[in-house]
Amino acid sequence: MKVLFTCATALVGSLHAQDAVKAPPTQDHHQTTESASKAAIYKSIVRIEVASQVPDYKTPWNAGRFSGGTGTGFLIGKNKFLTNAHVVSNARRVLITMHGSSRKHPARVVHVAHDCDLAILELVDFRPFADLSYLEIGTIPKLESEVRVIGYPMGGERISVTRGVVSRIDFRPYAHSRSDSHLVVQIDAAINPGNSGGPVLQDGKVAGVAFQGLTQADNTGYMIPTPVIDRFLKDIEDGSYDSYADLGVYDFALFNPAMRKAYNLQPNDPGVLVSSVTSGSSSSDTLKEGDILTAIDGYSVDSSGNITIAGERVNMNEVIERKFAGDKVKLDFTRDGKNLSKEITLKTFPPASMYSVQYGKKPRYLIQGGLVFQPLNRNLYAAHKLNNPRVRRLFSEYVKEGIYKERKDILILTRVLDDPINSALSKYIGSAVKSINGVDITDIHQAHELLNPAEPPEFFEIMLEGQDRPLILPSKGLSEANQRISENYGAHKANNLTN
Amino acid sequence: MKSFFTLTIVLATSFGAMAKDVADSVIRVASTLQSYNPSQPWEKTSPHKRRALAAVLPNSQVLTTAEMVTNANFIQLESANGEHQIPARVVAVDYEANLALLTPNSDQGIKTLGQFKALQIASPAHLGDTVNIVQIEDNGMTLITEGRIQSVDVAASFVPGHFFLNYQVKASMQSAANSFTLPVLKDDKLLGLLTSYSSKDQLVEIIAPEIITAFLKDAKNHVYQGFPSLGIGTTRTTDTHFRDWLQLSSDKGGLFVTRVLPNSAAALAGIKKGDVLTSISGKPLDRRGYYQANGYGQLFWSHLIRGSHPIGSTIKLGLLRHGKPLEVSATLKRAPEGIIPSHTYDKAPRFLVKGGLVFQELSKSYLQAFGENWATRAPLNLLDAHNHPEDYEKGRKRLVFISAVIPTPATLGYESLNSVIVEQVNGQEIQDLPSLIAAFKTTPENGIHTLKLDGQPETIYLDSKVSDTVDQSLLARGLPYLSRDTQ
Repeated sequence: MKVLFTCATALVGSLHAQDAVKAPPTQDHHQTTESASKAAIYKSIVRIEVASQVPDYKTPWNAGRFSGGTGTGFLIGKNKFLTNAHVVSNARRVLITMHGSSRKHPARVVHVAHDCDLAILELVDFRPFADLSYLEIGTIPKLESEVRVIGYPMGGERISVTRGVVSRIDFRPYAHSRSDSHLVVQIDAAINPGNSGGPVLQDGKVAGVAFQGLTQADNTGYMIPTPVIDRFLKDIEDGSYDSYADLGVYDFALFNPAMRKAYNLQPNDPGVLVSSVTSGSSSSDTLKEGDILTAIDGYSVDSSGNITIAGERVNMNEVIERKFAGDKVKLDFTRDGKNLSKEITLKTFPPASMYSVQYGKKPRYLIQGGLVFQPLNRNLYAAHKLNNPRVRRLFSEYVKEGIYKERKDILILTRVLDDPINSALSKYIGSAVKSINGVDITDIHQAHELLNPAEPPEFFEIMLEGQDRPLILPSKGLSEANQRISENYGAHKANNLTN
Repeated sequence: MKSFFTLTIVLATSFGAMAKDVADSVIRVASTLQSYNPSQPWEKTSPHKRRALAAVLPNSQVLTTAEMVTNANFIQLESANGEHQIPARVVAVDYEANLALLTPNSDQGIKTLGQFKALQIASPAHLGDTVNIVQIEDNGMTLITEGRIQSVDVAASFVPGHFFLNYQVKASMQSAANSFTLPVLKDDKLLGLLTSYSSKDQLVEIIAPEIITAFLKDAKNHVYQGFPSLGIGTTRTTDTHFRDWLQLSSDKGGLFVTRVLPNSAAALAGIKKGDVLTSISGKPLDRRGYYQANGYGQLFWSHLIRGSHPIGSTIKLGLLRHGKPLEVSATLKRAPEGIIPSHTYDKAPRFLVKGGLVFQELSKSYLQAFGENWATRAPLNLLDAHNHPEDYEKGRKRLVFISAVIPTPATLGYESLNSVIVEQVNGQEIQDLPSLIAAFKTTPENGIHTLKLDGQPETIYLDSKVSDTVDQSLLARGLPYLSRDTQ
């Protein structure tokens, strides 16, 4: 099939050449060949139906909501379908349908990358698809060039094709994780719900994966471009997805003339100011606040943190974007007037997951005496609409101020399941736990041990951040209360400490 | 039946007589108020007018609420019959208690006011007593509404967080002459000032006579002192498990002390965080902090401090510390002012504009200017400072921060630095705005001011010459002045 596909293209090309010399061939034949070649790839673009179970961060002992949706995917190799992570997140059952057939084929998720919204699926039984051609990953398209989007969006059941041009190439947030930004290409072809995960084609090759749109604007759809796809495919070659590495640097543009003078910079000198270095990150042993980063891997960094790659001006992080944990990066920087050059080894930064939406994980929680404690993260923030100022501060400074080093989990009192043992305590909901029985809380396991010691103290003293008094739980009557609460509120499992 | 008839006639005549008398004891106040623009502190916002009916007191003085004179440019007293318009000035004002004492500006005015029938202050009333709320309609007719004291409590009628004795009166009021506050009489004497009326509940709030009496007494001093405060934060002990942990017996009350402000009356008396306050001046407190007040029923403990004793008095406090009873003596004083003042009425905000950076001192009123949801919408770092001033107090008298960045050649690149707290300028620690002004006056040797901030980036720079030029052009463009270092 693959061979035939290439041949068909060659035929079209040669037909065009003959036009100039002889009388044109019949329109029908030309069109049939073109549509035949286009139709040939339709079968490689599949409809994905997902039944999911969405974790409940609001009532964490519940099983979660059963939900589902559809999206698009396409064949890129032997039993290898590419789609978006957000199509298959929290999936419990995945079914793939081929164009022209109504048969549903069970599939499973092999790799998922939530930080760049990509996923690889495989069929349980690949044989019905074995003869289909693979879509080839191309290169990043040029501005104004034409592309077409193929998929299974809303508005019908069968395959749909829309056409447009490349409108913009930029570095933008990826909505799926809410915390990552990568290269995106904006197109004006219609991308609607259901198109997610489908290919955007140019000259028969994949120029990107359609993945999000801008609802408040017209004709603004986005695709994940090939550099991001290539990186993902390379990352999973070793059998697991390791995620993006991070420099760990906050920068500040050096526009102000007085600031440039203070750093002895000439008007055209390169370099952006390092305004903060995240402790424990790739560059924390090398860079310091106040350094001026002048080049990254040999690319000169301008005063707003941009570099030029292949004639395009992009954010300097684009260099890191194409690398992997373990790779080396050369940093040129100026410190106290001296020009320095060091090589660092990139690593990932797990504590930053505090700010990424979590998928497919059962929420962690701990209940004692009807007090429900959950570790703070983005999902919890959204589920409980936390607005306690101390909690907000802990959340925003968790990485920046190195809070993560002492406190792996910031436990929040999210609910009080009313019972005589805790009847006065509802007003403290939404606060962070500082200490239990005088011991500062570092993570949920430790908190669980403190609340369930072999020899319980007469009273458990729970101090909350910014609150006026300790919450007191008596040991006497506690196990009876726990029993009562578990039955009344349906919280059959008192805790889930791992995910 | 017969007696009922007589009673009604008697009431009617006495009403009529009272109305005639009362008109000579009250006077209209018209004030024009204008506050400073919180984000552009060199200018004021639009002026607005307030009208009220005030009580005439002996010695040509007039009593009204502080809300009537907050940031007042102009105050005028107007007699009900339209004969007299007398410009007046403030003798004493207490924003916490919401009271203001006025007097005419001119000798003529003083003479005119002296001819009015001054009111005496009534004695404290009792639950169930009848009171008369006085209004003067636009046509000059007196309108008396009778009400009944339904309950007594402590309430903050103006500045939040400052609670004073307050009567709640059940009355069916008419809106007449759109008055901000009204005098309330009992037996022809001034019982209190009305501060709010809920037409839904038909409930009127009145500042109680004890507070007025204390205010007037203090106003006679050369310098008005204000009401004392113990300087503690407390919480209830209604939670039975909390009580067990505190070793409080089940038949008693008590308030848990959560905070003791440094240098406060409580701190100097030796009260510590974790103590349980069981009695004040011999009066036991229940678990919610209420005590039995004569004639008032249950009242919140704060009245035993604010409004019962003047500054300088010594009172006895009963405590429980680690389960053991203890008695301490506290000498009442004003609450120590922290670095973030709760209100700044009649104080022009101090500020500095340098090269386009606008610096101000943080106050609660600045945060409240972010609107009703200021507690979630105001900048997080400033909210944190307001909630936990103890983390910012060291070496500071006030918290100086960048409140705005005017785009100028000197502030190029700094446009995102809104709300950042300033720590040092040119190597000098910034304790308040005057010290900031002084730090900028020193011209640094390389001609560049260095500012150390509590944020990212940690240090920014201002070109001395460029910012001076920018300052001059801002003045030329209409800024009246570049700084205000006094209040």
